[in-house]
Amino acid sequence: MLLEPIFWSLFSLGGFITAFLFPVTLFLLFFAAPFHLWPTDPAAYSTFGGHWKEPLVRLFFFVLIGGSLFHGTHRLKFMLMDAGFKGRSAEAFLDVILNGVAIFGSLGALFYAVRGWLF
Amino acid sequence: MAASDVVFRVKRYRPESGGRPTFQEYTIPYRSDMVVLDGLNYIKDHIDPTLTFRWSCRMGICGSCGADVNGQPRLTCGTYVRDVHKGAVTVEPLSNFPILKDLVVDFDDFLRKLASVTPYIVRKDWGDLTKEYVQYPEDVEAYRQQSLCINCMLCYAACPVFGSSPEFVGPAASALALRYNRDTRDEGADARLARLNTRTGVWECTFVGECSVVCPKDVDPAAAIQTLKFLATMRHMRRLLMPGSSSR
Amino acid sequence: MPMTSREYAWKRRPGWWLRNRRYLMFQLREAGGVICALYGLVLLNMLVQLRAGESAYTAFLDLLRTPPVLYLNVVLFALVVWHALTWFMLIGKAQPIQFTRQPLPWKVVFGINVLLWLGVSGAVVYLIFGGI
Repeated sequence: MLLEPIFWSLFSLGGFITAFLFPVTLFLLFFAAPFHLWPTDPAAYSTFGGHWKEPLVRLFFFVLIGGSLFHGTHRLKFMLMDAGFKGRSAEAFLDVILNGVAIFGSLGALFYAVRGWLF
Repeated sequence: MAASDVVFRVKRYRPESGGRPTFQEYTIPYRSDMVVLDGLNYIKDHIDPTLTFRWSCRMGICGSCGADVNGQPRLTCGTYVRDVHKGAVTVEPLSNFPILKDLVVDFDDFLRKLASVTPYIVRKDWGDLTKEYVQYPEDVEAYRQQSLCINCMLCYAACPVFGSSPEFVGPAASALALRYNRDTRDEGADARLARLNTRTGVWECTFVGECSVVCPKDVDPAAAIQTLKFLATMRHMRRLLMPGSSSR
Repeated sequence: MPMTSREYAWKRRPGWWLRNRRYLMFQLREAGGVICALYGLVLLNMLVQLRAGESAYTAFLDLLRTPPVLYLNVVLFALVVWHALTWFMLIGKAQPIQFTRQPLPWKVVFGINVLLWLGVSGAVVYLIFGGI
């Protein structure tokens, strides 16, 4: 069965998620404090750990991680195919590995998002 | 070389002698109003009658004179030498196609792909052929843009995906599939989407977008393919969730 | 593809994406998408370290802030921003779902998306990171 329509849908959804949410998140977590561009350090353990108690924040990071993984692995698949990783078996191999990373990564994010909240 | 001359570097391939294609240079008189095709015709008429290239209408509608001019796929009849002239004008056969001779490429493969999307109105029942199938201006507007395609294949020459996967159905065939799917008289949409919803169909496209850049008729095949991906996904999901539902 | 033996077969050159600027920008855009997945894994690891406790989390954060990693991050961040901007362009250029009778010019859709992006980013600052 052709799975591409399903993975393309997730890829597109992930494209919207990463485009709209990634730049601001990465800026706040990775650059705001080291470059002194922000009054506080949003990534500090006490600050981030404090926000992490809120369900909305957990949902946000689950969506962000899942979306970016489905988006990026799909693009990586086509970049590798373009670079010469071709043929039915090569494509099946890429599908299993890359979609596996996306699926297990999303499940992992879901696990940490509900851990300590729902159970 | 006189100030009013221009150098044409033309790729030559002689099938009878084998070997690799090579460049041949011709110095010809320059006029500010000449197009690249005029230069090729000057060479054929006055310098080298063995130079082989396709052309017909000289007005950008027959779609037969496409070539890579300075590395970019263009209609040679619609490309002024003054716009591309940087020391020399390099003319090569369209990228991504096997070369038959000089600038003439083999596009049988493209014609097979075109045929695979049934680029004509399909009906289950033609009914009473003495009456008209009425279309209003907005019905025509729905597919007008894609219907402007002249099958010149510049989009295939610009597509790096087609360059590495020759089995990819490609930009023009996809755009024409959308053109007929949007026609209110047509009933073949489901079969076309089924053809395009395959490994060699629209899913190979990575939206490089160069097909739409080089298209001389503004057909915008890149956008057409993304629309088809969306329509193919809808069809796919509908069939997964409601296997009993009829087509369309 | 079946070919007669006298035809000259075409082979795409490996460096095709250096042939013009648009191809290069396309490759950078695709790379930006892949980088997003890489950051997805980094964020996932952040959650793992957060769960493991303060010392593990802080050690990971310090590693991210050592100069080589930090400057690598700046380069990769530029690709992520390029990915976001190109995504807004692509939405304008494709528009599989139209909200208006005639498709809007892609630059208009791009502009709307950038404004929306700024608004969403502001909302993320307040809703997710507790404001300034």
